[in-house]
Amino acid sequence: MAPPAAIDVEDLGIRYNLHLTRRTTLKGSLMEWVGRRQREDHYFWALRHVTFRVAHGEALGILGPNGAGKSTLLLTLAGILAPDEGSIRVQGRVSSLLTLGAGFEMEVSGRENIALIGAFMGIRHRVMRELTPSIIEFADIGPFIDAPVRTYSSGMRARLGFSIATAIAPDILLLDEVLGTGDEEFRARSQQRIRELVARARAIVLVTHDLNSVAEYCSRSVLMEKGSILYEGPTLETVEFYKDRVRKRKARLAEEQAAREAAGLPAPVTLDEIAPSGQPG
Amino acid sequence: MTTPARAVPGARAGTTRRPPGYRELFLQLDLVRLVRRGFQDMRTRGRLIQYLVGTDLKRTHADTVMGQVWWLIDPFFQMAIYSILVTVVFAKKIPDAPLFLFAAILPWQWFQTSLVDATTSVTARGNLIRQIQFPKLVLPAASTLAGAVTFGFGLVSLLLLYIPYPSHLSPWLLTLPVIAAVQYVFTLALAVFFAGVNAFYRDVQNLLRHITRIWFYASPAIYAVSALKGSVFGYVLAVNPFTYILTSYRNIAYYGSPPDWVGLFSVLVVSLVLLSLSIWLFKRVETGFAKIL
Repeated sequence: MAPPAAIDVEDLGIRYNLHLTRRTTLKGSLMEWVGRRQREDHYFWALRHVTFRVAHGEALGILGPNGAGKSTLLLTLAGILAPDEGSIRVQGRVSSLLTLGAGFEMEVSGRENIALIGAFMGIRHRVMRELTPSIIEFADIGPFIDAPVRTYSSGMRARLGFSIATAIAPDILLLDEVLGTGDEEFRARSQQRIRELVARARAIVLVTHDLNSVAEYCSRSVLMEKGSILYEGPTLETVEFYKDRVRKRKARLAEEQAAREAAGLPAPVTLDEIAPSGQPG
Repeated sequence: MTTPARAVPGARAGTTRRPPGYRELFLQLDLVRLVRRGFQDMRTRGRLIQYLVGTDLKRTHADTVMGQVWWLIDPFFQMAIYSILVTVVFAKKIPDAPLFLFAAILPWQWFQTSLVDATTSVTARGNLIRQIQFPKLVLPAASTLAGAVTFGFGLVSLLLLYIPYPSHLSPWLLTLPVIAAVQYVFTLALAVFFAGVNAFYRDVQNLLRHITRIWFYASPAIYAVSALKGSVFGYVLAVNPFTYILTSYRNIAYYGSPPDWVGLFSVLVVSLVLLSLSIWLFKRVETGFAKIL
């Protein structure tokens, strides 16, 4: 067996209850409950039978089309979602750079928000107090730091959020495509800071659509589709496999359409077109 | 950090399943561990709760001219309205009615606003819950504590009311923190329960408005317990915890007599049981919040 991994995911499954969403009402649930209809088709498996390891010092890339379960996987690695099946073992402090400005308390000042979000992240009060000056300096929003956050521009909010989220170097860094916000100057500084975090992290998981830059950070990558891992290997191979798959799929779609046109049928509308290219989306 | 999946009962198809005994069923509920974890959550995240209370207080009345003064004005208006209602419209002869009413309405207001605020405390933080992992129990806890602080400010207005009615002032008033503590435990128990359920069913926050309104009239807030003695409603009052809580407040603040110790103790015991159950339920469903918010 290999040495203990930084991240060890085994047969992970995350399941969403389709009947228990934002719009669930008591009435609907009661009727369901009375009817005792607890069938398997109430569930949607966003992830299923996902198994992989990330060794110490390794950076893993996660590729795949929209809806493949990449973000769900990051949320689970960050401990925000709990596995419904299988297990996840993570060694060390995890940080996801998902925390870009959401969760700010609008009525209180930026300074108070730093303390509040630090407390939410579970960072010790004393550590947070020591970090605060450097967070403020990095965010570089001037006297606004003592004004209520509702007066901030969206750029200022993003800068403060980024500054808080990256203030503590995590053991395990989870990145979801957030490789820079704000103006040119801030983007350069934030790229620099992410490089620092990458250098200090014991392991990295990077979710991206950018097939060109993934090789720069990650030596190994997995391709996900419909909640499972489809391919795992060195990044260049995985990228090649992915591109090949998309090419074949496009060719097949074109073929189908040609056949339809030949038969005089209208062209179908395809909503699930996958588009791996230089830009996200 | 290890996060094993909760065992799904009946997931292992193939093995012969025999009906689980009561002991097994109880163990599956994981009652003791989850309740202990819940209390731990609140203890270890004291600082977070403190910050949340601070922002909560700042948010209410943040952009009003009179700011914090509203904490004194709000209960006074309530009291004035009910004084007129009771003494003029219903023509009840209650001596020093404003104090009689205020001694019960003030704590009731605390209960009602705390409960309503706490119920939406989890749903209001949906954004954060999907981004940071933290014990969600701090949200209803902070919400009810902020209510307690507001109540504390409201007590200043109660003291002001002794200027026109000095004869009602008695040393029993010093036992008020005890009554408030019992009320807090009871409020927290319900708040945790409703906050957890409301994340899944938003009907709860609507339902709660009506429940609290009915509850108010079913409690001796604008009348004395003796007014309903012998009627069917007497039984309602007997099982209503707020009968004992409000009676105790009124005893110490209006009649100058000791609180209803036996009643308070019973309410405390019931509240602690309810609190454990609601913390257990909350901890059971907490992991699902990030999926549905």
